[in-house]
Amino acid sequence: MFGFIRQRAIASLISLLGLVVLVFFLSRLTGDPAALFLPIDATDEMRRQFREIHGLNDPLAVQFWHYLGDLARLDFGDSLRRARPAIEIVLEAFAWTFQLAVITMAIVTAAAIAVGALAAFRVGGLFDRIASVTSLVGASAPDFWIAILGIVLFSVTLGWLPTSGTGTPLHWILPIGVLFIRPFGLIVQVVRGSMITALSSAYVKTARAKGVRSGPIIFVHALRNAMLPVITVIGDQAAALLNGAVVVETIFGFPGIGKLMIDSILQRDFNVMLAAIMVTALAIFLMNLLIDLAYALLDPRIRH
Amino acid sequence: MINRLLATTALALAVSLSSALAAETDVRIVLSEDLDLLEPCMATRSNIGRVILENVNETLTEYDTQGGGGLRPRLAERWEQQPDGSWRFHLRQGVTFSDGSTFDARDVKHSFDRAMNSAMTCETPRYFGGMTVTATVVDDHTIDFAADPVQPILPLLMSLVTIVPEETPVEFVRDPVGTGPYAVTEWTPGQQIVLTRRDGYWGEQPAVTSATYLFRTDPAVRAAMVQTGEADIAPSIAQTDATNPATDFSYLNSETVYLRVDHSVPPFNDVRVRRALNMAIDRAAFIGTLLPEGTEQAVAMFPPTTQGANPDVKPWAFDLEGAKALLEEARADGVPVDAEFTLIARTENFPGVTEVMEATLQMLQDAGFNAKLQMFEVADHERFYSKPYPADRGPYVLAAMHDNNKGDPVFSMFFKYDSEGRQSGVSDPGVNQMIAEASAATGDERARKWSDLVAHLHDEVVADVLLWHMVGFSRVSERLDWRPSIATNSQLQLAQIGFR
Repeated sequence: MFGFIRQRAIASLISLLGLVVLVFFLSRLTGDPAALFLPIDATDEMRRQFREIHGLNDPLAVQFWHYLGDLARLDFGDSLRRARPAIEIVLEAFAWTFQLAVITMAIVTAAAIAVGALAAFRVGGLFDRIASVTSLVGASAPDFWIAILGIVLFSVTLGWLPTSGTGTPLHWILPIGVLFIRPFGLIVQVVRGSMITALSSAYVKTARAKGVRSGPIIFVHALRNAMLPVITVIGDQAAALLNGAVVVETIFGFPGIGKLMIDSILQRDFNVMLAAIMVTALAIFLMNLLIDLAYALLDPRIRH
Repeated sequence: MINRLLATTALALAVSLSSALAAETDVRIVLSEDLDLLEPCMATRSNIGRVILENVNETLTEYDTQGGGGLRPRLAERWEQQPDGSWRFHLRQGVTFSDGSTFDARDVKHSFDRAMNSAMTCETPRYFGGMTVTATVVDDHTIDFAADPVQPILPLLMSLVTIVPEETPVEFVRDPVGTGPYAVTEWTPGQQIVLTRRDGYWGEQPAVTSATYLFRTDPAVRAAMVQTGEADIAPSIAQTDATNPATDFSYLNSETVYLRVDHSVPPFNDVRVRRALNMAIDRAAFIGTLLPEGTEQAVAMFPPTTQGANPDVKPWAFDLEGAKALLEEARADGVPVDAEFTLIARTENFPGVTEVMEATLQMLQDAGFNAKLQMFEVADHERFYSKPYPADRGPYVLAAMHDNNKGDPVFSMFFKYDSEGRQSGVSDPGVNQMIAEASAATGDERARKWSDLVAHLHDEVVADVLLWHMVGFSRVSERLDWRPSIATNSQLQLAQIGFR
């Protein structure tokens, strides 16, 4: 097992290095940060000084060499816009995104597995039809529309929830609710499909013939075997959330990493952009590792 | 990570508790963009100025754009020009900073030198381009500013220099200390900034005890926050959200939309073609349709509240047949009026910019211009906006928006119309001379010279295609006695907010 983890870590490290090279040089193609940071009527001298202060007058290869040297000391440099260490800004934002992603995915996973499994138990029944229709609608509903609709309904009209922000637990309900809908719809569909296959397998028929009750059949025998594709989809959805839910963060004023990344790209804040990509890449690597371990836990064939 | 999660949770609880305990004289202001800096020398940047300018960091002088009172004393009680052309400022006594230190002339000198220091990239030097200014402390409460060449508007320029204590380091600070009625008591990046009224302010105590600034990108959310009572002021909301006359107000926001024309490139080097451009566009048709009611047709690069505005200059009347006739006349004289040119505009420049530009293009085509439209995002647009202009691009007309709420045309006219101006399409020695003379004049003569220049540029040179002075929309809670104004774009003085 440790050999497996070491192998994955080395592969991920190589990917991270490739990512750094790619993002470093691609980001420099977007243009001169001085053009965006300084006022439009700034003098050429002001622009030159700005570039000098931030090391942007050096040739690209020299800038990259300096960057690698700093990175080796875990120094991601300072934000051009905020005059603070880039990694501090990124970790602050990531903490918000991480909380949002973990809470949302925990609720989504529990709800989607329960609904998907129950829907598969009576295929074509009323519950299955309702679950299929709602999950399909959820999987295809645009985030921004649901978010605005949620604010108009629950905040402005009913006055039950705050429109946005992060101050109290109530502030989390709408963002989590909006983020919940799409992965829930998707995972319900996958659980349902996977469970239909599992429930029609020989071992389930045997269990039924032996008089085992429905609950244990669904949640003990069939679900465990149906979980492998479900875990893949859960991992995929969680990775998307860890990358930042830009629309939800923007509308609800959540200071997460998705919005930070978009802002840093638009503002050509290279150090923040690179630090954010590194942190999310690392998080996704760790999450993929967890998924691999979950596979191994569920399926002894993979373990061996 | 665990520490950060705990810290975030603690913060959430603290915010929740503070919300519950908010006083009736506390206000919440929701802004459209998060602040990246709280540096006083960047306070002329509108997003920063709205929070700290005159609230935390004050200036020696203050331009009253709202009340039309002109230049007023703030930390300087009075000022006069010396025989050698330098300006002497007599400073207010008994003023303290929020850190308890006493304000004196050394603080002013340090503030100016720091803001102009090339080791920092402050906004301030942009306003002092083309001149050398030296500050000399005369005594604790008197300071001289000598400018080379002599600057008649130096007192106005000092309304753009924020004052910090002498001990402030020459690097961007995150905890600004000032002499204003408020101090920054909390800044949680990405979430909120809290200013709290401080004791010991030299002026009248404001009614607002504390102000919490929140940041939401979506205009509909900002409007909803005021509607639900989560915020008291949303200085900028969308026109479509401004539906409640009791809380929603439109105001001239000091932005002017225009088409910049490069006079050195055919066919725009012919004044008849420039006249035809102006006559081809039905400016009035946009107002109340694609642009909000209250938008004004422009005849100058600065808003009509600025000194030097010329009420005698009238907007170009829409005259399609006249435009066609002018183009025909130019064509007969060999001017290449059929050459294709590009109308270049910026995405997200103002609400509805794409539709406005498409309609403008249609009007130009109707008049016989061979034009096409290209929209660029801000960084690409900048390549066409400022000199050196791209040589391989072919003829183009550039749509842009310019902001001047500083009270004097000098902040617009050199950049936009002088031969050396960074965004100028004009190269006319006569215009250069008029700009130089107006810039050097004072008082009524200054206003008259700017006024003459406005008429000359508009009617004779036909320098560009001035389109509209734009309006913004604000939503203000009914419990507040406050109205947005042309100043709201760049500053929002808490001391001007009252309660009903």
